[in-house]
Amino acid sequence: MSAAAAATTQPANAAGERPGSGMASTVALATLLLGPIIAVNGLAFLMPVFNLLLLSFRESLGGSTIGEAYTLANWSSTLFDSYYIELIVQSILTSLMITALTLVASYPIALYLHRSKGRWRTFLLVLVISPLLTSAVVRTYGWIAILADDGLINNMLKAFGVEAMRLIFNKVGVVIGLTEILMPYMILALLAGFGRLDPRVEEAAETLGASPWKVFWRIVVPLTMPGVALGCLLSFVLAVSSFITPKLLGGGRVFLLATEIYDQAIVTLNWPLAATLSMIVLVIFGAALVLYSRLLRAVI
Amino acid sequence: MGTAQTMQPGFLSIRSLTKRYDTMVAVDTLTLEIPKGELVAFLGPSGCGKSTSLRMIAGLCPVTSGTISIDGKDVTRLAPYRRDIGLVFQSYALFPHMTVLKNVMFGLEMRKVPVAEAERRAREAIALVRLEGREDRKPAQLSGGQQQRVALARALVIQPSILLFDEPLSNLDAKLRDEMRAEIRRIQKRLGITSIFVTHDQVEALSMCDKVAVLNGGRLEQIGTPGDLYERPATAFVASFVGRTNRLSGVAEGDRISVGGAALRAPGSRRGNVDLMVRPHRMIMTPAGDKGPDFDGEPLNSIGGEIRDVYYAGDILNYEIQAGDQIISVERATTGGETPMASGSPVTLTWRVADTLVFGAGQ
Repeated sequence: MSAAAAATTQPANAAGERPGSGMASTVALATLLLGPIIAVNGLAFLMPVFNLLLLSFRESLGGSTIGEAYTLANWSSTLFDSYYIELIVQSILTSLMITALTLVASYPIALYLHRSKGRWRTFLLVLVISPLLTSAVVRTYGWIAILADDGLINNMLKAFGVEAMRLIFNKVGVVIGLTEILMPYMILALLAGFGRLDPRVEEAAETLGASPWKVFWRIVVPLTMPGVALGCLLSFVLAVSSFITPKLLGGGRVFLLATEIYDQAIVTLNWPLAATLSMIVLVIFGAALVLYSRLLRAVI
Repeated sequence: MGTAQTMQPGFLSIRSLTKRYDTMVAVDTLTLEIPKGELVAFLGPSGCGKSTSLRMIAGLCPVTSGTISIDGKDVTRLAPYRRDIGLVFQSYALFPHMTVLKNVMFGLEMRKVPVAEAERRAREAIALVRLEGREDRKPAQLSGGQQQRVALARALVIQPSILLFDEPLSNLDAKLRDEMRAEIRRIQKRLGITSIFVTHDQVEALSMCDKVAVLNGGRLEQIGTPGDLYERPATAFVASFVGRTNRLSGVAEGDRISVGGAALRAPGSRRGNVDLMVRPHRMIMTPAGDKGPDFDGEPLNSIGGEIRDVYYAGDILNYEIQAGDQIISVERATTGGETPMASGSPVTLTWRVADTLVFGAGQ
């Protein structure tokens, strides 16, 4: 269950449990309670998305001018253009790679956090969440200081007589930066999905002859799959849609869907093309969601 | 030359087993020998160290000092997965993501038993706990009792050298508990697996097990057959924890003990302040002045008092009798149609000297 789905069904349940209310009044109350969120979502989310969809079929007349006529030009120039196909494929692959790295880096931390207790746990949890209180821009500049040609890492390498490496203004920099930025989300999602872990179950496996390695792969990993699936969905979506970090750490040399949308909308002012690319991102998200629900059904 | 028990090490041999946390001693120099094929209960109040002892035997809890050996082999420092021990948990601890069959096969798989044979043996174990037809269910689709049967099958199928039960019936309702007790006993006897059964329920311990080890404050108070424990408790704690008992305080002088105004006798000889214990149902109550029971001429104790309260509990009537400054509880089986004796009636309580247990005061 995603957090959003749980939150939207909550008011309906609360209304249903009210004693003495008939079916009709229950529905009325549910509608009343759900009304505001439906209105806000409709006005602030669905309408703009629909507008964006319409916009993607409009003609760009250069500058910020948008033609009145409807056309398939934007779609054909993105879906049949090798540059854009490469861009879409690269964006998905890079985001998958970032998601995988984020998972590998976050899983041990989440597992340790799940098993720690009391004040130590609270302290660690605050430590995990604290990066979220800092803007991604600030954190990205921090990474520039660390990864730059005369940054922390390269200076250390030079001190040990190792040749400096290019860690910034390329894909390496973007992957490192985004992995760190997405880790808090991944850790929180993993923790939320670790509810089925039970130390007694692990002990049972051990007494049945499973080594710690076997216990991890046969018991711990399968039982934490709901968290893994949720964390990966969240990280992937955030990775595909992030543009500040790729922009700053990529130095204009790493081209991803989100940065391209930004360029088309803000720099080139080709809004219909930006709208088309945005709809493609939305389709990718839809596919990710379908994959997520399939995976969740398979593991539970 | 010692007794047979100290001479011959048991199949499971526990010597001076100790578990210390920072300042607290959870298990204190526990020593006992368990012969092959026996079902032994670890009985005690919560926090007495029975579960900690069990976890140390399973290897799930590091040992502070002492040794554990199984069939002559020291396993004290061995990891749990190398110990060949089956453990049935209070919370069942089934693998929620596996079917019943996969749960039961898990241990065999870890032992690299070929799949076909593993499946055959798992199905046998499932049949043994009478769960045929539910092999493909997930644990969440089973009732508590069925889940515990799966846990039992999963522990049995690996043919462990020792089978451990950690309060396995505590989460079940009373009727199911009785069924499972009989079931566990039947299977344990049939397979002849040396087993330890941790419980805080004395009825469970006495009715199921060959021997009962009573633990208190991390120490072994007494180990013996249920009859030993009940009839010949070694300490005041065992006497009061196993079965119900009346505790009277008195002053001993040889085999004479004066309790309030009454002069009583007890087997053995001692001096000073003592606690005297008698089981409620071993006391015969007669109206004061009537001729008391004669118990075939055995030496008897008697004490006079007055009925203070009567409780009706269906199968028994429970009388509370004020004898001097002591309260004594006496049970009488109901026969139907009788009128309980009224509060305030003067009565005489009579019991055999042999049924009088005496312990040093304040034990």
